[in-house]
Amino acid sequence: MDDKELFKKNFFVKGSDFANAGEVSIEIKNILKEIGYNSEVVRRVAIAAYEAEMNMVMYGGDGEINFTVNSSQVKIDLEDHGIGIADINLAMQKGYSTATEEMREMGFGAGMGLPNIKKNSDDFKIFSEVGKGTRLKIIIMNK
Amino acid sequence: MSRSYHSIQIDKKKCVGCVICMKACPTKAIRILNEKAKIIEALCVDCGECYRVCPYGAVIPLTTSYADLKKYKYKVALPTPSLYTQFGWEVRPNQILLALKKIGFDYVYDEAWMCEMVSAAIEEYIRENSTPKPKISTVCPAVVRLITFLYPNLVNHIIPINVPREIAAKFLRNKLSKELNLKQDEIGIIHITSCPAKMVSINNPIGLSHSQLDGAISVKDIYSKILKALKNLDEEIIVHQSSGVGLGWAISGGEINGINIDNCLPVSGVSDVIEILDDIEAGKLNEIEYLECLICPAGCVGGPQNIVNRHFAKQKAENLIRMYGNKTRISRKMVKGYYKDGFFMLDEKVKPHSLPPLDNDPVKAIKKRQEIEKILKMLGGKECGACGAPDCKTLAKDIVQNKADINDCVFLKNPGS
Repeated sequence: MDDKELFKKNFFVKGSDFANAGEVSIEIKNILKEIGYNSEVVRRVAIAAYEAEMNMVMYGGDGEINFTVNSSQVKIDLEDHGIGIADINLAMQKGYSTATEEMREMGFGAGMGLPNIKKNSDDFKIFSEVGKGTRLKIIIMNK
Repeated sequence: MSRSYHSIQIDKKKCVGCVICMKACPTKAIRILNEKAKIIEALCVDCGECYRVCPYGAVIPLTTSYADLKKYKYKVALPTPSLYTQFGWEVRPNQILLALKKIGFDYVYDEAWMCEMVSAAIEEYIRENSTPKPKISTVCPAVVRLITFLYPNLVNHIIPINVPREIAAKFLRNKLSKELNLKQDEIGIIHITSCPAKMVSINNPIGLSHSQLDGAISVKDIYSKILKALKNLDEEIIVHQSSGVGLGWAISGGEINGINIDNCLPVSGVSDVIEILDDIEAGKLNEIEYLECLICPAGCVGGPQNIVNRHFAKQKAENLIRMYGNKTRISRKMVKGYYKDGFFMLDEKVKPHSLPPLDNDPVKAIKKRQEIEKILKMLGGKECGACGAPDCKTLAKDIVQNKADINDCVFLKNPGS
């Protein structure tokens, strides 16, 4: 990001804290609305950020969300110290999920999280190591 | 649509400048300036929360007064189904409609009947249009405003079906002017309402070129007249025709009760409505077909201008549903015919009215948003409202927009310490 004016904010996400899950993505969305981002872009960010935040709550243990925005793009970097993903290609497939019974009872685990993030981003990268954690890099352009 | 009209005003003589309404406002549309509450009109969705909480009677809803009826040659009453819940257990809808006639209306129409037709029309629309999901009801004017202002990218979820009170008014104006040989403007069609938001939807309609209603009298303002008129009624005449399906529109869940489609969800109360709209924006709830969304807790029975406790009113509505049956008497074939003719549709697409950003220049807006974070760290975080803004974040936002000063904060941390 070479644009001079950057807005940055870091958020801490607590693993398994379902009661507060989703609050970071609401804040990110509201910041973009205040800045005056195009509403369709806001929506894509809202969806991608929500899915990524939920993944962190469900599988990530604790983690951090790093949100950066300038006038042309949004960058969301997520890093957690959770269980990690053994087979990323498999995890990227629609409908694949390792959600527990409990998560499914709460309405999660449809296996759409990562595919949905990818669908709503302009650039999406994922790195993961089993037992160590997962990193996501999401870029969404303000078009 | 202009935002110039609002259904709520502050009586400056009565307002003492406390923080209660400002704290209750879900869109943070109130500030205290010079010890008086001030509504920022561009942010107000007319939900009525401020009116509900003000202990000084300083929040004045601008509904139609009973005296205003005089100017019409022929007066028609169109009562909200929740009016039927405002009297004792034994009082029937027909008695209430007759009482309205007795107090000066020439004609009364059971709006709940039109509600039944609209439920069926909504079902037709959902069956024909599978996306987007969920579709959102137009019935609550405060919810529709909340969406167009704060959730502009959800406007395409708003179902293009008009509300029962407007459809009924249009139908009645045509019918009565022909039958009685009256000019259309000689007929005054008045909604009896449980909330001031209906006045905004009359004066500043969304999705309609103009409203077919001439005003809205609040249940509160007309209550004692109805109570008196309920005695010694000539009960031979039957005006009430709705079943429990239409009567149920008074409560949360009533509108979707008449829609024979799975996965319809009723939500009521301002904080729950906001939570659910955030969920939809995050891409959740896309398995829900239809969202009945009412700003008042428990639905229209919880309207700020109703009289009785909303739990009592809800119970009364449930009794009425049992009493008049959960099966509609309207003809589905007739609804289908009207639906095809466009009888139930809004005149125009609902357009977004996003709030202005911090600055029209996005680079400057980002800078201001950074500034907000810095200011927030200096403010006390007590969220007291003593500065005249509802919370620290709103004060910080006002400061970067030159609408407030950092020294307004009474807990300001010394930046040097």
